[in-house]
Amino acid sequence: MLASEWLTVRVQFVLAAFFVVAGLAKIADPPGFAHEIHNYGLVPGAFVNAMALVLPWLEVITGVALFLGMARRTAARILGILLIVFIVALSINLARGKPVDCGCFGVSTVQKTDAERLKDMKLVILRDVGLLLLAAQILYATKRQERI
Amino acid sequence: MRSPRSFWLEAAGFLFLAFLAAGISNAFAGAERKLKWAGSYEQKGAAAAAAVRPTAAAAAAVTPSLGAPAGAKMFPPHPDKASLDITGEDVVELHGRKTVPFLDARRSSVYRDGHIAGARPFSVWESDVDDKVKAFFAEGTDQSAPIVVYCSGGTCEDSHMLAEKLYLVGFDNVLIYKDGYPDWVKRGMPVSKGNEP
Repeated sequence: MLASEWLTVRVQFVLAAFFVVAGLAKIADPPGFAHEIHNYGLVPGAFVNAMALVLPWLEVITGVALFLGMARRTAARILGILLIVFIVALSINLARGKPVDCGCFGVSTVQKTDAERLKDMKLVILRDVGLLLLAAQILYATKRQERI
Repeated sequence: MRSPRSFWLEAAGFLFLAFLAAGISNAFAGAERKLKWAGSYEQKGAAAAAAVRPTAAAAAAVTPSLGAPAGAKMFPPHPDKASLDITGEDVVELHGRKTVPFLDARRSSVYRDGHIAGARPFSVWESDVDDKVKAFFAEGTDQSAPIVVYCSGGTCEDSHMLAEKLYLVGFDNVLIYKDGYPDWVKRGMPVSKGNEP
């Protein structure tokens, strides 16, 4: 059941759609995304811009590949790695007590209090763990299919 | 079964395509969307540690009046620090002098929606900020006279980042409006809209 093609195709679509939409939102405003990355306080200043330029395109290209079923194990692994990076980055800032906007869908225009931001960070970590499970399902199912 | 090598080859392919697409997209982006590949974002206080400066006493001796009217509050230069935070009352007073430059560190789109009357756009997140800082320096602005920089107040760090850039080119009297634009609006002070100061 967990490895069925029916389920895997739907999981692929959900995960791919999420990353394509998130990537396109960031591509629309690279300086805004660079600002969000800088706010995390984890990336050296010299690499902030390069990351803001490349990461959204990596999300979109990998998402499109997953949607089309091309190199889907590799695509699922890359998206899984990205999700782990996002979870770790948010968790570090949560542990520091530093409220940051996740920047997942570009720049947020909504003004929030620090308490609201910290609460949002916890919800985003939970959401990312859920997406990580979707990536894991694709890897599990495709591994079984390869064996067969 | 696929070899682990195929993962690395495919992943390198995805990364190459992402770099290529980012390069093309950035090359054709407008000024507000373009980014330099290498960022130059100073951490708070980093510029102060790196720069070699004259002493505060020497700087004050060069420009004792700083263009302030008689009896007005003095804002002496601070060569050992990139910036000093000032209150809304001080900002209102400096704005009234009409000679103090006001620089807006927020995004250009936000600047267009409303800014302090007379403030110039210096978005710290846009690719032309370093050119704007150099051009500002080239205008011959007194490096020891007060310059007010602001962003959105609260946790906004854009004004501090712009202050570090100004400090690195030699401006040693950058004053940060810590409560920023929202406080200015709350005070009912004059604002302008659009691209012009």
